[in-house]
Amino acid sequence: MSVRLDTIRECLEGIIPGHIVTCDAAGMPNVAFLSQVEYVDNEHVALSYQFFNTTRRNVLAGSPVRLLLTSHLTARQYRLALRYLRTETAGPLFERMKAKLSGIAAHSGMTGIFRLLGADIYRVEGIVPVPGGSISPPPPAVNGLNALRRSTERLSTCINLECLLEKAVDCLEEEFGIQHLMLLMHDEARGCLYTLASRGYAHSGIGSEIPVGSGLIGICARERSPIRIGFMTNEYAYGRTVRDGLAADGQLDALETAIPLPGLPNAASQMAIPIVAANRLLGVIYLESLADLHFGYDEEDALVVFAAQLGLAMQHHQLADEATEESPPAEHAPAPIQGPPLTVRHFAANDSVFLDDDYLIKGVAGAILWALLNDYTRRGRTSFTNKGLRVDSRIRLPGTSDNLEARLVLLQRRLAERDLGIAIDKTSRGRFSLTVTRPLTLLES
Amino acid sequence: MLDHDIVTFIQSGVSITLAGCAPGHMPSMSRGFACKPLENGERIGIVLPRTQAAEALENIRLTGRVAVAFSQPTTNRTLQLKGTDACIVAFDPRDEPLIRKHVDDFVPEAVALGTPEEMVRALLSYRAEDLVMVSFTPSTGFDQTPGPKAGHPLTAAQ
Repeated sequence: MSVRLDTIRECLEGIIPGHIVTCDAAGMPNVAFLSQVEYVDNEHVALSYQFFNTTRRNVLAGSPVRLLLTSHLTARQYRLALRYLRTETAGPLFERMKAKLSGIAAHSGMTGIFRLLGADIYRVEGIVPVPGGSISPPPPAVNGLNALRRSTERLSTCINLECLLEKAVDCLEEEFGIQHLMLLMHDEARGCLYTLASRGYAHSGIGSEIPVGSGLIGICARERSPIRIGFMTNEYAYGRTVRDGLAADGQLDALETAIPLPGLPNAASQMAIPIVAANRLLGVIYLESLADLHFGYDEEDALVVFAAQLGLAMQHHQLADEATEESPPAEHAPAPIQGPPLTVRHFAANDSVFLDDDYLIKGVAGAILWALLNDYTRRGRTSFTNKGLRVDSRIRLPGTSDNLEARLVLLQRRLAERDLGIAIDKTSRGRFSLTVTRPLTLLES
Repeated sequence: MLDHDIVTFIQSGVSITLAGCAPGHMPSMSRGFACKPLENGERIGIVLPRTQAAEALENIRLTGRVAVAFSQPTTNRTLQLKGTDACIVAFDPRDEPLIRKHVDDFVPEAVALGTPEEMVRALLSYRAEDLVMVSFTPSTGFDQTPGPKAGHPLTAAQ
């Protein structure tokens, strides 16, 4: 093969529609336009199957298949010889193509007409360049490999999960130049993702939740596959999708709905990357932009590697925190108490916690905070360990699969955002402290 | 054979793709640079560069079978004409204004969808001595605009 498919992937984005030629049993050629070609690997591509048309009839009858692809960056053209293998109607590849097609359909005025029926997998048997005019490609906005190298160096300096998550969003923003992003963690027990960090939104949305399977982020999590859309599409405007999904599934009570999801209401480009380590989904990185086609195959590659690196580091820090030996934690001198009293109300039904009647958090993080504050008000306790929380019957952690350390970071951030005189801080591996600076009144409802 | 609307459409700022296939050969295609009605509209001629279209031209030389798709980027209106009597004829330099007009009409269509003009002009750049024309009588035609009518025969071409 004279040209490697991974070096011409911009031709697959559908910016310049590809052409497909087949021929029928009588030897009559047929030309059709392709809305989508998906890179599978260097020997395989997938074409969207949307209609049963002459092309499909010819392909199923065994016609040889030829594609003409054009680079929107250089105007170079390539002819590919393909052989049809099979059709997939579910799974990661299908979902990736379905999402991308939704954006393409919206962009080309074909919403409701372009509908993915299947992902047709073809073996690529040859790629030849077509002679013709060309231009120099514009320089890329970011050198993805260098951004990855610099990010790797920065992540490797972190000594705990809190630092790692903070550095990760710093790297996405500063090294990869991404202006709107979220980092979400997977709650395995409840089948949802919760926002732990975000950048580029008026409200951080920390603590907001999305069910696995809903919207672009939820589908990325369910399929454990990166998903990328290049044009604005209402179908994957995740805020609405999530609300619809919740109402349909009767999950509105179970999910965190008091904290609104951050997000651009009119994002054109969206990309979600799963964070997976040791075959477990740990979370999702979500990026968006107001510009069309902001993320390409190269950005996706770099961020998939970044997510893999982040996943391994997350797992390492979580395991290290869990492995810390229990020893009597040193109590630190309590902070001076001043200011007006703060009322903390706990609702046992869903472990929701309100500070002066304003909602803070619910679920496991709510249960943790309530236990900490009770220990503080009854015994003056300010130092705690992850191991202690694990065996605390008041908290009812779902098991070691639950990322306790990430929940503590979530709680820490929600408290810091509210800044009402309660804070938790990491003191060392597997240990943290509670700081209270206002008189507290605890009310159990 | 072709009604006025179709004849106008295939000479407007549409993308043109010509394909041929032959037994024992891979099907192949090439971009067309202009379309010219011939013989009072009984036949049409597609101008294209010989170096880009070498494979398709060889298939047409062997079988005379040809398919040409015309698609307007901004509307997705697409139709395909097919013939069985295609032949390859020399390019008449007096037809060069047809190519310049086609490129000038196609540029705003592509630019409207975000493709830079420089890129479109590079894609449709040519050397006049490299050009050739494929001439054929459209015997069948199909509406290929995505939607409910996709695949329907063109009534005017029947």
